[in-house]
Amino acid sequence: MPADPNEHTTPSSRTAKYWRKESHVNVAHAARMAEPPAEPDADRAAPRRLGIIFWVAIGWILLVTTAAIVAPLLPIADPEQIGIGPRASGPTWDQWFGTDGNGRDMFSRTIWGARVSLMVGFFSIVAGFLVGGTMGIVSGYRRGWIDLVLGFVTYVMLSFPLLVLFLLVILLFGQGLWIVTGALSIVVIPSVARLARAITIVFAEREFVAAARLLGATNRRVMVREILPNVLIPMSALLLLGLGLTIVAEGGLAYLGLSVADGFSWGKMIQMGAGLRTLQTAPWVAFFPIGAMFLTVLSLNLAGDRLRQYFDIRELGIGSR
Amino acid sequence: MAGSGTAHLRGHDEMVLRVENLVMEFPAGHHQVVHAVSDVSFDIRRGETLGIVGESGCGKSTTARAIVQLPPPTSGRVVLDPGTDRETELTALVGEDLRQVRPRLQMIFQDPISSLNPRRRVRDIVGEGLHIWAEESDDERIRARVDEVLEAVGIDPTVAANRRPHEFSGGQCQRISIARAVVLEPEILICDEPVSALDVSVQAQILNLLEEMKLRYGLTLVFIGHDLSVVRNVSDRVIVMYLGKVCEVGGADALYSAPAHPYTRVLLASAPEPASTVDGSEAAIGDEIPSPMDPPSGCRFRTRCPRADDRCTTEEPILRTLDDDHFVACHYPTAAGPSGA
Amino acid sequence: MAGALLTVQDLRVGFLTEQGLVRAVEGVSFDLEPGQTLGVVGESGSGKSVTAKALMNLLPSYAQVGGTVDFDGRDMFAMAASREKHFWGVEMTMVFQDPMTSLNPVKKVGEQIAESLRVHLGRSRRDALAEAGDLLEQVGIPEPGARLTQYPHELSGGLRQRVVIAMALACGPRLLIADEPTTALDVTVQKHILDLLDDLRRARGMAMILITHDLGVVKGRADEVMVMYAGHTMEEAPTTTLFAEMRHPYTEALLETIPRIDTPSHTRLVPIPGRPPEVIEVLDGCPFAPRCRYSIARCLTNQPDLTSHGAGHLCACHAPVGTPSGTQARSANESAGTTATGLDMDQFTRNVPVADPGQSGAEG
Repeated sequence: MPADPNEHTTPSSRTAKYWRKESHVNVAHAARMAEPPAEPDADRAAPRRLGIIFWVAIGWILLVTTAAIVAPLLPIADPEQIGIGPRASGPTWDQWFGTDGNGRDMFSRTIWGARVSLMVGFFSIVAGFLVGGTMGIVSGYRRGWIDLVLGFVTYVMLSFPLLVLFLLVILLFGQGLWIVTGALSIVVIPSVARLARAITIVFAEREFVAAARLLGATNRRVMVREILPNVLIPMSALLLLGLGLTIVAEGGLAYLGLSVADGFSWGKMIQMGAGLRTLQTAPWVAFFPIGAMFLTVLSLNLAGDRLRQYFDIRELGIGSR
Repeated sequence: MAGSGTAHLRGHDEMVLRVENLVMEFPAGHHQVVHAVSDVSFDIRRGETLGIVGESGCGKSTTARAIVQLPPPTSGRVVLDPGTDRETELTALVGEDLRQVRPRLQMIFQDPISSLNPRRRVRDIVGEGLHIWAEESDDERIRARVDEVLEAVGIDPTVAANRRPHEFSGGQCQRISIARAVVLEPEILICDEPVSALDVSVQAQILNLLEEMKLRYGLTLVFIGHDLSVVRNVSDRVIVMYLGKVCEVGGADALYSAPAHPYTRVLLASAPEPASTVDGSEAAIGDEIPSPMDPPSGCRFRTRCPRADDRCTTEEPILRTLDDDHFVACHYPTAAGPSGA
Repeated sequence: MAGALLTVQDLRVGFLTEQGLVRAVEGVSFDLEPGQTLGVVGESGSGKSVTAKALMNLLPSYAQVGGTVDFDGRDMFAMAASREKHFWGVEMTMVFQDPMTSLNPVKKVGEQIAESLRVHLGRSRRDALAEAGDLLEQVGIPEPGARLTQYPHELSGGLRQRVVIAMALACGPRLLIADEPTTALDVTVQKHILDLLDDLRRARGMAMILITHDLGVVKGRADEVMVMYAGHTMEEAPTTTLFAEMRHPYTEALLETIPRIDTPSHTRLVPIPGRPPEVIEVLDGCPFAPRCRYSIARCLTNQPDLTSHGAGHLCACHAPVGTPSGTQARSANESAGTTATGLDMDQFTRNVPVADPGQSGAEG
């Protein structure tokens, strides 16, 4: 490498040209690996690749999302049109997923149902991460009374009975898409806030934060430039896991009749197909939305979990597994 | 020992920083208090390197943090340019006023990895100070300045500037930290154990670099360390601390060649290769360091001191002059000057 | 050697990783006689700790080990293969840098020491505890009786390391490996622990391998010193010989780069340029050559073998310090201003104040 008089300036520089290029691996790293006897070596070496399962899961998520977004453009039946086929008939070449009791096309309904499910799930988790993440970073970095107040708010949110909360929100504001989304995001906020706070505390004690403050960075600048990028990566892996949760939660609400009034989601479809008689005579009416939701949530969990390992949140010394 | 007192302060001439009666206490639960730093005073002349040496728990790093107000001390004063019309009392400043003064003191830390934000690129890390204080978008000037400083610390900007810290070795990270600290041309650079985490073969590079930086940017250095040889090598003046108090202060060579405080002598005798000025057997003291939550009365070193008697239990020794620019806080120092047991 | 307790021959350790085989130890050999101390000196990545782990059978499963280790006539790798239970922790024990890695934080100190006595020597609980008390006294812990019922977190760092030493001594080992035993401790405590290890070794006639990054620690304590770099042995000699007439440029550079407690302040330190290799590859040449003031063309192409430089003194160098070839290599490099690996020679002499007598003796 260069004839630099001092330390070689190139990162991980080969020390000289005459090293034979057979294997180049890291002695220091190896020594470190062998250093503390308690180190879980196998774990450490594990996830350097995302693997096939991850990509299959991502493929499914993309497929469902794309289908939901472009549903109006797809050459499929109108999901609300009654009598497009025979009533409550099983899957056929014309109606791949069969029809429901009103003769509506279940394939088309499953795709359209994804729209509400995914939208509510997505926007509530994003809102929850924005609000909860901000709360967590601010309380983890500022500590003091801000931390106490925000901590108290978090506890209140965590201990409030969720169903009562939803009933209350719906009674007061109705069952609009954004109302339901907002109500769901309230569920997400406290957990996200606590996690973001924990990660923030780990990083706020690092010397680079002290260095930034010494340079004259304002608190806001420190939080945005120094803390946020470090919180963002591990949190983003959890976004997928959270999305799985909110989709399931919306399904549960819909089943109780507490979700979006206009249109229908997978949850609402399940509710409609889950009557005892329908289950006996036309089980496919409930089966396809359940299957779609199951596969989607499973994919989100598999992909999210893999990402979490990949970014190795344990490295931060919090939330082991 | 247990040095309160101000006999060793040197008036205002050419002093760039003065610390008076610095006290740092932390709550430790159960109504207990950690007395991390107790009534420590010193001053630093412009262009000088002040070494602070002591073992873990002596309060040396806490003192460094208190000087830069991260966090501010429990009590005491930290004054920049004492006795001049530019005199600034850091301990009296808060919020925006403090932020405005901050760039005048910079710091480098022990852990080279933890010192650098893993998610940012070297160029942004080193340029951060410039971006914070930039008038408008003078990106070109900042770029040039970052390149210049990186080169000064021996890092090739063309190769390194767009990389992230994990691609560098400990020594290189420490160079980047130094670049970040000097980019705003501070007056005082506080080095908190800057070479303790480095391989022995890399230490000398960083120590030599600090000397170069000191000349090039006209810095005043505070060098905190536990390695007595390293501290002597870089310092003009040395403070020996124990359990939150000053034991002995003096010119580096004077202090090492005629150590007067029993604790200083123990330190010098305990080094892997003991100093020639003390007898190796002087290292024989117990290794139970008292808790900083309940420090001994009188002299804090008395529980491990071979010379301690009743007076040391009841009366705290105050720093007093031993020789020209050599001060000790002990009732029974090793006589080298006018006083003595 | 006939009387050797431990004979290590051509020890090699590699770690199979996704990037290939990491060569951490490359052909280390030494003998250790009963009651003797071997100091192993090296920086991070030198392979000193991996050597110790290999001897202690503590390497992870993906490590590949080669060479032979003979302990008092027994093949150690054969013992490892047959899962010998009463060798490691009994005849050969180890003290680590961080005492907390060896201590169970939720068990009382006495129980932890007693445990190995009960497991390996079949002592009763009561006897084992009594013996644990004796051991604590031997390692200089005040009020040993009271300490038996304390937990590790109630002890200071120095006391914890003493407890670990007591545990290591419990079964009367014939060889104790101490891996940076004092690096995590304060200077005043450090000396006590090193002295204690030395006293115990002498009293029990046990052999010791003292691993450290600090040449000062082995000086006056070890009988023999082995200097390691990048997995290779650079130099091996009786301690007094090593300090008096070191032959390897790396040993010399290490001594010159460390500030001395007796040299005046602002003495410019002779730097060792570059850093220890992070990347180890199969070498044609000497691993230290890129940082070496003595390097000649041959250092780039031929890996030097260990050659004899007097009684028990081995050094792997083509241009050893203090020999005609070394002196010639260095003066040639100095007049050329650069070494065979392209190292700028000026940096070693730049701004060096008048060399004091203590340092100039080391110059080749």
